[in-house]
Amino acid sequence: MRLKIIRLIIIFLFGMIVCELFYVQIIRGRYYFRLSKNNRIRVVPLEGGRGRIFDRNNVVIADNSVSYSVMVTPQEIQKKKKVFDFLSAVLKEDKALLIRRYQQKKFTPFAPVTIAEDISKEKAIVIEENKYLYPSIFVHEGFKRSYPLGEYAAHVVGYVDKINRSRMEKLKRYGYTPQSIIGYSGVEEYYDAYLKGGNGGQQVEVNSRGKQVRLLSLKEPTRGQDLTLTIDSRVQKMTHELLDGKQGVIVMMDMDNGEILALSSSPSFDPNYFLDSSKGRQLSKLFNDPAAPLLNRVTRSSLPPGSVFKAPLAVAGLDTKKINEGTTFDCTGYVELGGIKFGCTHIHGPQNLLESIAHSCNVYYYRLGKMLGPDVIHRYAAIFGFGKLTHIDLPHERAGNLPSRRQRMLSGKRWYEGDTLNFAIGQGDLLATPMQLTKMMAIIAREGWEVQPHVIKTIGGKEVEKYTFEQKVPIHPAVFQTVKKGLRATVKDYTGTAHVLDIPGLHVAGKTGTAQSSGNKEHHAWFAGYILSEKKNVAFCVLLEHGGSSQNACLIARQLLLSLQREQII
Amino acid sequence: MFNRAAAFIEFAKGADHLKRDLAKKIWIYTIAIVAIGLMALYSATYDNVRVSQKIFYDQLLCASLGFGVMYLFGRMDYRRFYDAAYIFYIVNVILLIMVLLGGRHALGARRWFEIFGISFQPSELTKLAAILMLGRYFSDLRPKLSFNFASKATIVFQHLLVPLFLILATMLLIFKQPDLGTSLLIFGIFIIMLFASGIEYNILFSFLGFCVFLMPFAWNVLKPYQKDRLLVFLNPNIDPLGAGYTIIQSKIAIGSGQFFGKGWLSGTQNQLNFLPERHTDFIFSVIGEEWGMFGALVMILFYFLLIHCSLQIAAQVKDKFGILTLQVVINIGMVMGLFPIVGLTLPFVSYGRSSFLIFAIMMGFLINLSKKRTIF
Repeated sequence: MRLKIIRLIIIFLFGMIVCELFYVQIIRGRYYFRLSKNNRIRVVPLEGGRGRIFDRNNVVIADNSVSYSVMVTPQEIQKKKKVFDFLSAVLKEDKALLIRRYQQKKFTPFAPVTIAEDISKEKAIVIEENKYLYPSIFVHEGFKRSYPLGEYAAHVVGYVDKINRSRMEKLKRYGYTPQSIIGYSGVEEYYDAYLKGGNGGQQVEVNSRGKQVRLLSLKEPTRGQDLTLTIDSRVQKMTHELLDGKQGVIVMMDMDNGEILALSSSPSFDPNYFLDSSKGRQLSKLFNDPAAPLLNRVTRSSLPPGSVFKAPLAVAGLDTKKINEGTTFDCTGYVELGGIKFGCTHIHGPQNLLESIAHSCNVYYYRLGKMLGPDVIHRYAAIFGFGKLTHIDLPHERAGNLPSRRQRMLSGKRWYEGDTLNFAIGQGDLLATPMQLTKMMAIIAREGWEVQPHVIKTIGGKEVEKYTFEQKVPIHPAVFQTVKKGLRATVKDYTGTAHVLDIPGLHVAGKTGTAQSSGNKEHHAWFAGYILSEKKNVAFCVLLEHGGSSQNACLIARQLLLSLQREQII
Repeated sequence: MFNRAAAFIEFAKGADHLKRDLAKKIWIYTIAIVAIGLMALYSATYDNVRVSQKIFYDQLLCASLGFGVMYLFGRMDYRRFYDAAYIFYIVNVILLIMVLLGGRHALGARRWFEIFGISFQPSELTKLAAILMLGRYFSDLRPKLSFNFASKATIVFQHLLVPLFLILATMLLIFKQPDLGTSLLIFGIFIIMLFASGIEYNILFSFLGFCVFLMPFAWNVLKPYQKDRLLVFLNPNIDPLGAGYTIIQSKIAIGSGQFFGKGWLSGTQNQLNFLPERHTDFIFSVIGEEWGMFGALVMILFYFLLIHCSLQIAAQVKDKFGILTLQVVINIGMVMGLFPIVGLTLPFVSYGRSSFLIFAIMMGFLINLSKKRTIF
């Protein structure tokens, strides 16, 4: 009887096992089969090398150098103390620090932990030579982006860093992985799709320690395309050095084809700091600096253009035939409107158009502005690209602000006549970027032919044809010729505001601007102009944020032009 | 003395059907299981650095030795077992104490010690010693109980408390090693033997109820990792890289075998070292992965047939060969996540010399029982 019960229990237990076997192996068999496959097959992504970046004379701006990092596989560590003694001796770093780093980064027993990144080749060799003693340590060979020009070209070239979450989510479909290195700002970001290598990968069979047992398949990664920029690194270096210690911008553009020769924004940063774990402190300093060194002021700094705006206003006056070259206004030092005095810098007396440009007479433009009215000024300013992106091939460009009565009404306020006067001299709500002013100067100098600023010259060895089209603004060329005379007079006349730029052998023209900034800070100093020479026709812009009088901007421009002349670039 | 021995034999053999081929069957099934086991072990150690192939040859040697032992014990006059039962048990207790004091330390436990250069695990011996001791005790007790109208208290004392005390001594010693699995197995043997000895149901069930009542207290005695193992059994995902790792990986191995398996020497979970302890406690997952449900069923069938034989013999001799059943069921169940990982080997298949030899002795004992009944 009792034996029967025991027999029943045994049959029941065996039955349970058979049921469980049926459940695990037949019903869920496919699921577990997939799991076992995932267990043993790892896809090791191989990222293709990033394309290099050169300047117009084939000077390397961004390069890939081989970097070595030390990794440790936790599971294979036999004597932890000995391993770290060895590492600290080779790397010449504190052992406790290394151990702490290891503990922080350790995730699973089989995933290798990076102990030190970008070690020297000599150290890497020492570690490799001792590998048989410490099987847990290995040296990983990877590529590291390097920027030989450092701070000089930081804002043009941008920098690379590990992909962030928001970018990852958007770009997942394009073959980016969480380990991807992606460009941030500058050409690195704008042309990331070209620079980025095609992802390859290895399917490897691994054992439980994650060690490769055999290679199942391999797809070779492809290298990214090399880029050539229109930047001339010599000019770039000069502009950077001129801005040293100041907060400002120099941008130079070959106005015949829109090629940017130099684009400097100061303060700058060293793009080599990113991806370098030892530069963490410098990096956080960069991010927290109130002077915003990461900001590309050429395309992102929107400030009132001040008197530079008088040039397009003169074009508007002439084109609408409200004035002609001989139209004269008498400058008494101010214009009174509704009991408020709108001042001028001097009492200029009677001024014709050319003198008003050369002397930057406010009163002339108060009068002209009043005659034109805000709507006409708006229309002409829009033709010159105010309030619109220049569509230069750099990311995160700002459009500045072009005020209008409509805009004012939409914000629930009224447009007063005083606003028209401020608008006429480039103050008030009008905001423009140095890039916009450079482009504007190019349009005037080219007598209406528009130009597309860009920094790219070739992609993968092929000339970029996108920027060769040209179109004309709907303004008569004779108008530009008159205004150009005035801009030339600004430099050429002894009383011109930019007479310091009168350099023998150079045809320089342009317009100064001293823009009032909000608060009690110093004014912004502007000079936007162009050089006509046999070698190159260049439009350029100098901005010193809170740099005081426009004279300061002119002085920097002078030094720049002198150096360029010396180097026989122009 | 002779009287008692006769009673023991009477108790052990009971009916006297003649079934000569039972012995033959036991041989066949045992050899089949050992063959399957050796093949699985060969695969588990094949071309591998972590588990040396030496283990396979070791087991092969052990198997041939084991068959010899089985043959010898099958032919021996097993009345000697009866005579030696208590002494054997006492020797075993001494060995267990010795292993605690000076045993070899391996895998975080003291379970082994060396005799003449061969390591030996006394807790394996305990399985046999406990069966023999309890068998003799209960058979000695039976005449008393049936002839005397003893009081309830006396019955409880003689039938339950005395053997319980004897068993607890070894259980605690094994638990101390620490080896929770074997210790619980010994307790299982005790319950089965108690049940088979004809104890009154109300005493048996009150005792089991009392054990259930004690469980929360026993929980506190467990070491943290033992608790972990039991908790992980309830949900292996609690600690997928620690205690749950083994169970998850072995489940993946078995499940991925599906019906026909991945083929001998081709189990990826096995060959690529995803299965820890696959040559001992987790050998069944190697079988499940490489030979699929088909292979696993064949092996289980052989175990079932072997147990069936032992039950048939038991029906005639009323011996308690629950032990084999219990260990097979627990091991396979454990590997598949049905039972907690308590560290039990699969008889004849898992690597382990002591285990193999003890099971060979037991099989010999079974054969012996199936043959000798003609005498009476």
